[in-house]
Amino acid sequence: MSIETENKKIEEEMREVARNLLREKKVNVVIGYTKGTVPLSSTPIIITSENNVDKLIWNNLCYVNLAKYLVPRIPQLIDPEKGDLKVGIVSKGCVGRALVHLSVENQINLKNVKMIGIPCNGIINRKRIEKEIGEKEILELFTSDQDIVVKGKDFEAKYSYDEYINELCKVCKVKSPPKIVDFKDSCLGECQEVKSVDDNFTDVVEFESKATQDKWSYIKEALQSCTRCYACREACPMCYCNLCFVDQNKPIWFEKTTEISDILSFHLIRAMHLAGRCVACGACSSVCPVGIDLNLITRKLEKIVKERFDFISGIDSNKMPPMMDYNMNDREEFMLEE
Amino acid sequence: MKNEIGKLYIELNEEFNFYAPIKDQGNLKFRKVLNPDDIVLDYYNTKIPPKEILFPEMEVLFEYKTDGKNVTEIIERKDLEYKNIIFGIRPCDAHSFTLLEYFFSYGDVKDEIFLKKRKNTLIMGIACNSPKSTCFCTSIEGHPFMKSDMDILLVDLGEKYLVEGISDKGKKLMARLKWLTDAKQQDVKIAEALSKKAEESFETKLDLKDIDKILDPNFEHPIWEEISDICIGCGTCSFLCPTCTCFDVLDQNNQYNNKGRRIRIWDTCQFSLYTLHTSGHNPRKSCIERCRNRILHKFCYYPENYDMLGCVGCGRCIQLCPVNNDLRSIIERINKIKSKKEEKVSA
Amino acid sequence: MPNPYIPKLTTVKDIISENKVNDIKTLELEFMKEEDYNRFEYIPGQFAEISLIGKGECPIGIASSPTEEGTVKFTIKKMGTVTSGFHNCEIGDTVGIRGPFGNGWPIEDMKGKNILVIGGGFAFSTLRSLVVYLLNEKHRRNYKKITVIYGNRDSGEVLYEDVLEEWKKRNDIDVVLTIDREEKGWKEKVGFVAPVVKEIGPSPGNTVAVVCGPPIMIKTTIAVLEELNFKDEQILNSLEMRMKCGIGKCGRCNIGNKYVCIDGPVFSLAELKKLPSEY
Repeated sequence: MSIETENKKIEEEMREVARNLLREKKVNVVIGYTKGTVPLSSTPIIITSENNVDKLIWNNLCYVNLAKYLVPRIPQLIDPEKGDLKVGIVSKGCVGRALVHLSVENQINLKNVKMIGIPCNGIINRKRIEKEIGEKEILELFTSDQDIVVKGKDFEAKYSYDEYINELCKVCKVKSPPKIVDFKDSCLGECQEVKSVDDNFTDVVEFESKATQDKWSYIKEALQSCTRCYACREACPMCYCNLCFVDQNKPIWFEKTTEISDILSFHLIRAMHLAGRCVACGACSSVCPVGIDLNLITRKLEKIVKERFDFISGIDSNKMPPMMDYNMNDREEFMLEE
Repeated sequence: MKNEIGKLYIELNEEFNFYAPIKDQGNLKFRKVLNPDDIVLDYYNTKIPPKEILFPEMEVLFEYKTDGKNVTEIIERKDLEYKNIIFGIRPCDAHSFTLLEYFFSYGDVKDEIFLKKRKNTLIMGIACNSPKSTCFCTSIEGHPFMKSDMDILLVDLGEKYLVEGISDKGKKLMARLKWLTDAKQQDVKIAEALSKKAEESFETKLDLKDIDKILDPNFEHPIWEEISDICIGCGTCSFLCPTCTCFDVLDQNNQYNNKGRRIRIWDTCQFSLYTLHTSGHNPRKSCIERCRNRILHKFCYYPENYDMLGCVGCGRCIQLCPVNNDLRSIIERINKIKSKKEEKVSA
Repeated sequence: MPNPYIPKLTTVKDIISENKVNDIKTLELEFMKEEDYNRFEYIPGQFAEISLIGKGECPIGIASSPTEEGTVKFTIKKMGTVTSGFHNCEIGDTVGIRGPFGNGWPIEDMKGKNILVIGGGFAFSTLRSLVVYLLNEKHRRNYKKITVIYGNRDSGEVLYEDVLEEWKKRNDIDVVLTIDREEKGWKEKVGFVAPVVKEIGPSPGNTVAVVCGPPIMIKTTIAVLEELNFKDEQILNSLEMRMKCGIGKCGRCNIGNKYVCIDGPVFSLAELKKLPSEY
């Protein structure tokens, strides 16, 4: 099946579920994606009426993690009299994982959330394509058979779909939202049973094997162009702290400047705060205006958490994340002497 | 001649800090040129606007020495007198420098750091033969070949550049470049034709006439809830905007060496802490108020204070907003408020 | 032109604790260089950005009047990191000053009028500057009747007790003090500021009302003044906003198209009603 046919099928089924939810008033709003106004984007949209369901689309540029709008809940999803509105969310696998993990962290009540599950077939690595096209302007991007076609004023380029989706999507094992035992009514559309996830982390192993000095130079060079815009932090559904560590001033832990030491502190510590929580949606790398691939670091932390604690976030609504829990068998090299 | 850019660089590099578009980690930015072969001129526009040359993301206000407890000496900056040339800038970004100058000299107390650097800076720009689909400088009374904000304007004629001195500073510099040949009448005609072609090629046209008059009475309009519903509150639009100038001030103390410095870094009204009082009160506590403030600042307060729009039409916010909250559709929706008002009047 | 971001250095000459719980202190600062002091010409109602260089900077209203020569006084409440730093200062420490900024009270326009000064709690500091200025022998005859109404939570919170005593002894100014609840030994009025103002019932004829205090006090007092037929142009407010540069460049203190640090902090009620409610 060509990619466009797949997408069309996903879109139609997703619209049907959304239409029914709104018609039967099971939700007050549906959050999904609509066509972007520039070629490499899609726009999140909040619809309230079934007449607008045809605005919802699915294509391989839906990179925003929609769970972001629930925690902290944007004022448009709160009714001053009724409280939290009932929400339907178009959920690819990582969005579903984010919702499950946020419910484990007691940030949302899945009773008021209906996941419209879709079997995601990958998100195009827009920053990589932009960098390879260089300074030419991209006027159109679409999938044709198994290729990504990019058109501009005087040029056309073809990229292999399997090669040019996000690195995370290439190794993704949870393409549609996990079914949750305690909230069966919240899992609509295509949701899957996920018992366990096998991940070899081949993408991380390759980078791990390089020499320390090479790894350090690579990461430093990649992070050097960071402008501290915090698009990565704001796009991440797990970054919902009322006061981020970087904004605290009693005491000032790390500074907000663009010196390389401050940039490294921000990104490395943010990755640490995501250990056992990151759902590998890739939104942080997709939204970065200067195209930094932040997922290299987050994948490494995911690997450590899987190896040490046998834990993958957002799969099981009854398993506590390792950074919020303890086990008498935990290793304590840093705390106690043997 | 196009290959003479290197000659230009070598001649001017001694006296001026020569800035031009250079690729850095895959992104085009204005950087000080060390090797003229690095200069990229086959491009639409840089990712980070050239405001960062005179108003960098991190800038030292002053340095100081202490005796361990108290300040003993304040050391002012001495590098503000260096001369700069910004080469290869586009007319929209050059216009942003005019707006920045207005802003930093508003009021009784002026920002001397920026203004000193601006006085010593020469702007040598290149006209836009083919604007991007998201560019809209003609909608804000600009033009892809606009000369008024430039000192020297170059037009790309294909094999060579047509060089025109606009201001006195620019003409004086051109007189020094003895190897420039006189322009032929034909060259000027080609340039005029290119100008007209560029002007007619704009895909994005926004109706910005009297937009401040629509915005001013509609501060509490419910449309702001719609416009800001998908905004995630990052700083991308402000940091990449050529006219956004908000900053934060920090003291960096080096207690081991008994010295330190006070710096300013870019800040944005889109961050939740921007207007947070120490008491906990925040006049702009949600994305709705913050998004509204940015639009009003560019399209309502700027015209009210300086008689010109605060946007230069570069389109960077449109291309790079993480959630594609497109400025063009925001302006469209604001203009619809106007027509609804007219309906009420006629009925 | 001088760089407006460079502070001038001063030494802490005196520190006075103003309230019982010791979280409001007045610092008296003396400029290190005489030429800096001579250039620091201010009027009541203006503010300055004072810094503990190394810790930070904050905008504080000037509590002393320009008629009190030699030093400049600032009353600081301990709220955040910088203000806590000021509270830990000792006599002889170095403090930086940038300023004076802001538009100040319109002392020229207020000439020939009755002045009604209403203050609540900690916000009285620039009102002290104003009243001391008005009472100075050079200026007193330019102004008619002066009334001061000053309310606080309790008797331990009353600022500037020494200056208030002096004013009470004079016969060219009426001073009314009030606290929220009855207290043993308190001989003045009891009650919130707004009902006390209503009780006194000042007439709006040829009067300028200056109101400073916490938001709820301002709201209730303005309601009472409007009942007494005060017009919007006659009521003046001093606003507080988060500020960093103090000169209208960092952008954060804007209300609509006005900057509180250059077009304010003093605004008349008429001006405030035209601005969006973002403060």
